[in-house]
This record gives sequence, structure tokens and C-alpha cells, in this order.
Amino acid sequence: MSNQDGRPGNGRSETSRGERLGLGPLRRELPEEVPPLAAAGAAEDAGGDRSAQETAEPELTGRQRLLQGLWPPRFTRAQLVVALLLFGLGFGLAVQVASHSDGDSALRGARQEDLVRILDELDDRTQRLEEEKQGLEKQRQELENSSDRAEEARRQTAEREKQLGILAGTVAAQGPGITMTIEDTKGTVQADMLLDAIQELRAAGAEAIQVNGVRVVASTYLADSGRSVEVDGNKIQAPYRFQVIGKPQDLEPALNIPGGVVQTLEKEQATVTVERSDKIVVDALRAAKRPDYARSSSQ
Amino acid sequence: MIAVLGLVVGVVAGLLVRPEVPAVVEPYLPIAVVAALDAVFGGLRAMLDGIFDDKVFVVSFLSNVVVAALIVFLGDKLGVGAQLSTGVVVVLGIRIFSNAAAIRRHVFRA
Repeated sequence: MSNQDGRPGNGRSETSRGERLGLGPLRRELPEEVPPLAAAGAAEDAGGDRSAQETAEPELTGRQRLLQGLWPPRFTRAQLVVALLLFGLGFGLAVQVASHSDGDSALRGARQEDLVRILDELDDRTQRLEEEKQGLEKQRQELENSSDRAEEARRQTAEREKQLGILAGTVAAQGPGITMTIEDTKGTVQADMLLDAIQELRAAGAEAIQVNGVRVVASTYLADSGRSVEVDGNKIQAPYRFQVIGKPQDLEPALNIPGGVVQTLEKEQATVTVERSDKIVVDALRAAKRPDYARSSSQ
Repeated sequence: MIAVLGLVVGVVAGLLVRPEVPAVVEPYLPIAVVAALDAVFGGLRAMLDGIFDDKVFVVSFLSNVVVAALIVFLGDKLGVGAQLSTGVVVVLGIRIFSNAAAIRRHVFRA
């Protein structure tokens, strides 16, 4: 083609058909769309409009011929037939383009081996992703389980903290129990008698005790202080009012047993009253104290 | 002019209707379209040369399409469909290019 492009002086300007047909070698190289025979026949074939024109204007150039063919439109048999064929071409072209432009156009033109390879790759990938999915699901399940367990543990810990808080006196407590009031008009009641009472109550299953607004816990101490009694450094005056949470049916008899707390106190001229109640509120609190030396040995 | 109109109407109709290509025709359609394009370029060149003849055009158009489809069909049967299609497209492409060059020389005189 380049040799044709580069060929100088084709004499295109004054081309006549006879000349071009005589171009010989060039025409032979190019694909012959129209056989020379037919072309030669077309000259004297008066059927086409073009031949009529050519007889009128034999020196017509290709460009002029194109323009004349385009305008004005002529409804000749040749034009209509060509139009029909071109309609078919345009239709097919558009259909092909449309069917190719939608979706998997990359796969449509692929060869069979390529398709097999792509399919294999897809299968591999699917398998890999499936495995990954399974692994992730397992992991998720484990995490869910562990978070469930952690939640459960946290709940239990919170419950335990409350229970221990009642024992340690860091939270308020309420429940059935008794109220014991010791009237001491003579000032004869001493710390050890109150301690005995507390011991007796503890032995009878008291779970939370407060004396005149002071919470009694494991580390509580009682000491005499003149005419009053000191509980954990807080001076308390008679009457001593014990609020005790526990089983009333156990606590009251424990105090009233012969030779028990009540009798001992009454021997000292104090008056003791014990009342059962369905709702005792022990709301005196103590600050939780961090032990300096003792450490939990359980891990 | 009518011919150009026919082409335009065909493209528009194809785009608007969007018919489902039957599976039987599907492998032959692209090759047939390329073959028809070749025929059209040949016809355009012949027209510029002043040797256009509608009978020749019709015959060459139809025979191009049929032969191209036949080659693809044969290639598919022989198991070399892809290669043969490529060959047909290459040959038709070369022809289209050479025709286009001739047309260009007519139209632009270069």
C-alpha cells in the first residue's frame, strides 16, 4: 500500500476512466471489487444513471461523482437495491455491536482454551474464598462464644462483687431480720458485752449488722471509752440499736437462750428488746480498704 | 443518498429493535458484517472510479457475506474456527484498507 501512497503523479486531476483502467499494475494489485469486464461493460451499459452522466461529462473526477451521487437523491433501482443491502449491513452491525457491548463481552470473544483456563481459575478462586469464608466463620463463632463467656463472667463477677460487698460493708443491704435495742441507763454495758452480742448474732447466721449507724464487718473492733463504747473509732452512746439481717427465727432464739446475750445484759440492769421485722435496711457503709500485705493467692 | 439513508436507517433500527441474535447465526454475524463492509468499500471505490454497477455490487456483497460465513462454518467444523476467522478478518481488513486508500486518493487527492 505504501508504494501506492507514495506513487507520485497519478494524474488524478484529469483522470478519465480509460486512463485509470490503463493504470494496469496498480489496479491489479488492488482487490478487484468490480471485474474489469463488468467495468468496461458499464461504459456502454446505459441502464445506470452514472453511465448517462459519464457520457454527458466524461472528465468527471471521483469527488464530483461522489457529490453527484449524494445529491440530489435519485430513486433508481440501483440506489434502492444498494440501500436495501446497506440497511442489512447497518442492521447487522448495530445488532452485533449491541450484543457485544452488553455484559461479558470479554468472554464472548475468548477461545475455548482460554475459557477453560478462566473457568479453572474461577473454580480455584471460589474454593480459596470458600475456605477463607469457613475459617472466618469459625473465627467469628469462637469470638462470639468467647464474648458470651466474657459476658457471663462479667455478670458473675458483678454478682459476686455485690455479695462480697455486703460482707465487706461496701454496699447497702436489706432483707428480713431483727432489731435489737439495748437500753443502758446505768452505764454498765461494756464493749465486751456488745462483742458477745455480735458474736452470737454472727453464730446465728447474721449476714449484715450495723450498730447505731456503724457497719459491723470482719475487721470491726469494739473498745470501751469512758461511759460509751467505741466501734471502729466511732463513739456510740446507749441505747445501742443493732440492725441485723438474717433469719429472724434463728437470730431471736440465739439471743434469748438461757445464759445468752439477753440474760447476761439484763443481769447488768440493761433492758433488751428484740423485734423481728420483714424488712431491715442496713445502709451504713464502709470504704473498701485495700490490704497492704495480704494478696490473693488464687490466680 | 438513498444508500446512505439505508445504512443510517439500518443502524438506527438495529439499535432500537435490539433483537436477540439467534445462536445459530451468532458466530457468523461479525464475519459477515466485516465481509459486507469490504463489499461496501469496494463499491464506494468503484463508484468513485466511475465503474460502479449495482448488479456487481449486489453479487459481490452477497457472495462476500456467504463465503465469509461459509469459511467460519467450515473452520468450526474443522476445529480451527478461531484461526480461520482471524484469517478472514485479516484478509478483509487488508482489502478494506487498500480500498480506503483508493477512496482517499479520490476524495482528498492525496
